[in-house]
Amino acid sequence: MITAPFSTAADGIAREAALLQRGKPALMLWQAAENALVVPVAVARRDGLQRALGEAAERGWPVTVRGSGGGIVPQGSATLNLAMVLPCTAGFTVEDGYRMICGAVTEALTRFDITAETGACPGAFCDGAWNVLAHGRKLAGTAQRWRAAPQGRVVLAHAAVLVRTPEPDLWPVLQQLQAAAFAAEPPLRAGAHIALDALLPGAMRQSAFPGALIRAAEDRLTALARRERKAA
Amino acid sequence: MANDIIIPSGLWEGDDECVITAWLASDGAQVTQGALIAEIMTAKIQYEITAPASGTLSIAKQQDEVAAKGDVIGAVS
Repeated sequence: MITAPFSTAADGIAREAALLQRGKPALMLWQAAENALVVPVAVARRDGLQRALGEAAERGWPVTVRGSGGGIVPQGSATLNLAMVLPCTAGFTVEDGYRMICGAVTEALTRFDITAETGACPGAFCDGAWNVLAHGRKLAGTAQRWRAAPQGRVVLAHAAVLVRTPEPDLWPVLQQLQAAAFAAEPPLRAGAHIALDALLPGAMRQSAFPGALIRAAEDRLTALARRERKAA
Repeated sequence: MANDIIIPSGLWEGDDECVITAWLASDGAQVTQGALIAEIMTAKIQYEITAPASGTLSIAKQQDEVAAKGDVIGAVS
């Protein structure tokens, strides 16, 4: 199986953290069986948010924290995660990390004749400049965590791809938590998102996507390692 | 001699600012060179700041404060 199955998003995030700590080039595709909302640790510890976090859990969406930045991301069987661990030298920038992981997602989509681009998508969860958009709607979100290691910097680049249209019960929970955590940002809209099952009708084509994604990520990781070796 | 703790200048391409999301050691604490002492966030990245030297930590910018590339956010002396 090409996708690592975890019971919870917390398990998948812990595995990503272990790979980052190890500091060697790595790729992992993973999916969690149970639903959860994942928020950056800096957001989860804000005063006044504990009640909203508790309410989300009561409604079937327990909250898990992650070390990378950004906003609230739903996890569960509707989300496929790509983690790339990239040891790199000085000169590698945040944007290089985003170009690499967004490039892997867009190239994998190209294999299925889906044109995608990167950009912001107001009304989408965890919005930022480095979403992967299809038909102007958010298909994948990305974030990074950077670690200073003795041999240089190590980057964990992460993409969360919506592979299945989320159940309708997600949106009110997500909207309530988003309003509590990010009052200044536009309200979330379900219509700002699109999932792979809407873009790739047919189970066969959807099941082929993880293979295309891991190949595209592997190509980029190999090319980076080659560049780093040449620069050393 | 004080060793400044500086927001790296080559980390991202634009002039965006970052937020100090956590100090993982207290003002006045003894820290060891290379130890993780702070985290900053910008453009959906969390970046770890390590102690530039061993000694006593002095915090110049507090948690949740905004900082720019090259800003000194503390020192170790």
